[in-house]
Amino acid sequence: MSEAPILEVERVTKTFGGLVAVNDVSVSIPRGMIFAVIGPNGAGKTTFFNLLTGIYKPDKGRILFDGEEITGRDPAWIAARGMARTFQNIRLFGSMTAVENVMVARHVHTKTSYADALLRTPRFQREEKKALERSLELLEYMQLGHRAHELAKNLPYGEQRRLEIARALALEPKLLLLDEPAAGMNPQETEDLQRRIVGIRDDLGVTILLIEHDMQLVMSISERIAVLDYGSKILEGTPEEVQNDPRVIEAYLGRGAAEGAS
Amino acid sequence: MRKLRENPLLLSAVIAIVALVASFWLLNHPRSTLPFLLTLGALLAALLQPIPRWLKVLIGGAILLLVIPAAGFKNSFLFELGIQTGIYAAMALGLNVVVGLAGLLDLGYAAFFAVGAYTWAIFGSPQANEFMPWKIFPLPGEYFYLFMLVAVVVAAITGVVIGSPALRLKGDYLAIVTLGLGEVVRVLANNLDQPINITNGPQGITPIQRPPIDWFIALLDRFGLHLSRAEAYPLFFYLLVLVIIGIVTLVNVRLDRSRFGRAWIAIREDETAARAMGIPLFPTKLIAFATGASFSGAMGALFAAKQLYVSPESFTLIQSIMILVMVILGGMGSIPGAILGAATVTILNVDLLKSASDYLNDLRNAGFVLDLGFFKYNFANLPNQLEPAKYERMVFGLIMILMMIYRPEGIIPERRHVLEMKKEEA
Repeated sequence: MSEAPILEVERVTKTFGGLVAVNDVSVSIPRGMIFAVIGPNGAGKTTFFNLLTGIYKPDKGRILFDGEEITGRDPAWIAARGMARTFQNIRLFGSMTAVENVMVARHVHTKTSYADALLRTPRFQREEKKALERSLELLEYMQLGHRAHELAKNLPYGEQRRLEIARALALEPKLLLLDEPAAGMNPQETEDLQRRIVGIRDDLGVTILLIEHDMQLVMSISERIAVLDYGSKILEGTPEEVQNDPRVIEAYLGRGAAEGAS
Repeated sequence: MRKLRENPLLLSAVIAIVALVASFWLLNHPRSTLPFLLTLGALLAALLQPIPRWLKVLIGGAILLLVIPAAGFKNSFLFELGIQTGIYAAMALGLNVVVGLAGLLDLGYAAFFAVGAYTWAIFGSPQANEFMPWKIFPLPGEYFYLFMLVAVVVAAITGVVIGSPALRLKGDYLAIVTLGLGEVVRVLANNLDQPINITNGPQGITPIQRPPIDWFIALLDRFGLHLSRAEAYPLFFYLLVLVIIGIVTLVNVRLDRSRFGRAWIAIREDETAARAMGIPLFPTKLIAFATGASFSGAMGALFAAKQLYVSPESFTLIQSIMILVMVILGGMGSIPGAILGAATVTILNVDLLKSASDYLNDLRNAGFVLDLGFFKYNFANLPNQLEPAKYERMVFGLIMILMMIYRPEGIIPERRHVLEMKKEEA
């Protein structure tokens, strides 16, 4: 791809006390790609996401998003620049309705001042209507239109996961981070999700960075995969390269299994 | 009950009849507590039950604008009760933005009330002559309206000043720091009589100008109502409070249903997720804090004008806690809840507990002997300490404990919560 990569991570390290959670990791993600980060439990994948989205500040290294340095910036600032995410353990606003959840993420795209809200100016009406319409559209897109006015916490698990994606899309992101989107889904739902992720990339032109344990899903939709183990990137490559690498099997299953396989 | 709910016509009729009976009872016995409570109950039922809108307006308007004023002329205590309820309701609505919507526990809320009260007290009395070069104070009463706006602005600025350090903390820490900073404001009011006399210290400031009401008296004259100044002021403040409650409620509803309201609730529900959705934490919290403060400031100015007197004693921690009790009792995040909570606590506080005290006093003075056979008690021996009016704090504590156990979502839960409850029943 000719354009500059959407995300460049340069030698990022994060430690918690004596534990090196992310160790000297560099990744470059081209625009429009579906990129996966895999690794065993505790490999530092979610910490890596938290570094990208600004929840943690890296001890060393820098992060460039869309050509702009975002290292150590506020999560809200980074989100407003177009990086959206979902959470491994679903974090919806439970006591709000589904559509309100999505509208929260329209915050940065709604240009109404405090005075507009108090006086209900025509601009307020217009912007509010726009936010609502776009939110309903996104719910429809994630096949949640019929749930628009139900409380988020009353939705079934799979729909909550989809609602999180709809909410993230409402930011109109350039890069979407999905943290184990298929966790707890049955095979039917996973297959559905798989098509939807590809759809999001193709329809909306959003680059996708994905953490996932479901290897079937990862291998079939990712174009490139980075493998983390004990906080370090041990490998990066195409699904085929990663699948056949003994280091990956070793990371997941231990040395003995890797030797048996080779 | 269920049958009543399912039949809107019957329901409307029952509420209308109760309202009518209660009103006449109150007009004939303006000094007894029971008809007053029944009238309020009818008002509440009319506003909350699913009856036609025109009937709500009719019953609400008749009770608030006709029955209570008419009874108030016979018993001016009703006006006092109405004005106090209104002032607290407006403050509860302000605190509802901070605690109910944004989830920021603020224990220093009375500080903003103090700031508003002193804003008008200082300039609406000769006090400002003490430190201002021009000897033009007190400002004439017409300036009161302007100073309500000034109080809103000053309180909002105070909110930003107090909030800027405090809002970087969360939960319990925030509560403790706001409590401390709230006390700082009171202590400042208590001690700023030296080196320059700004607040007149513990003696407080008096007399404070009231807005002139000659036009109001003249207006009432036209309708054949001839009132002296002393009679007209309570009615005027009562009506003014009703107007302010209307404005404050409108502001509350509009903010709640805007991107600001949604952002506040998002922060309350999950700060991390809210930030990840592009909501800047600190500024959004600060807006909530300043909004709540400004409501309190406006009511402070009104309080100063009504009382003619302010002193630091009116702005203690127990005031902040009382307003918090109103919000929690009514239902956090719920607008009708905040108003109902304010009414309940105020009436309990200034009316019911005192009535109960008076009743026990009567029994004591009459030397009434309770004789249950196995148990005999002469009320003449009742110790003075056992006066319900002195239980105020214990009653608040009890209310809080019982609410937390049996109805943590409040008397009138936030709308979104109600939907959920209905779902669970189904």
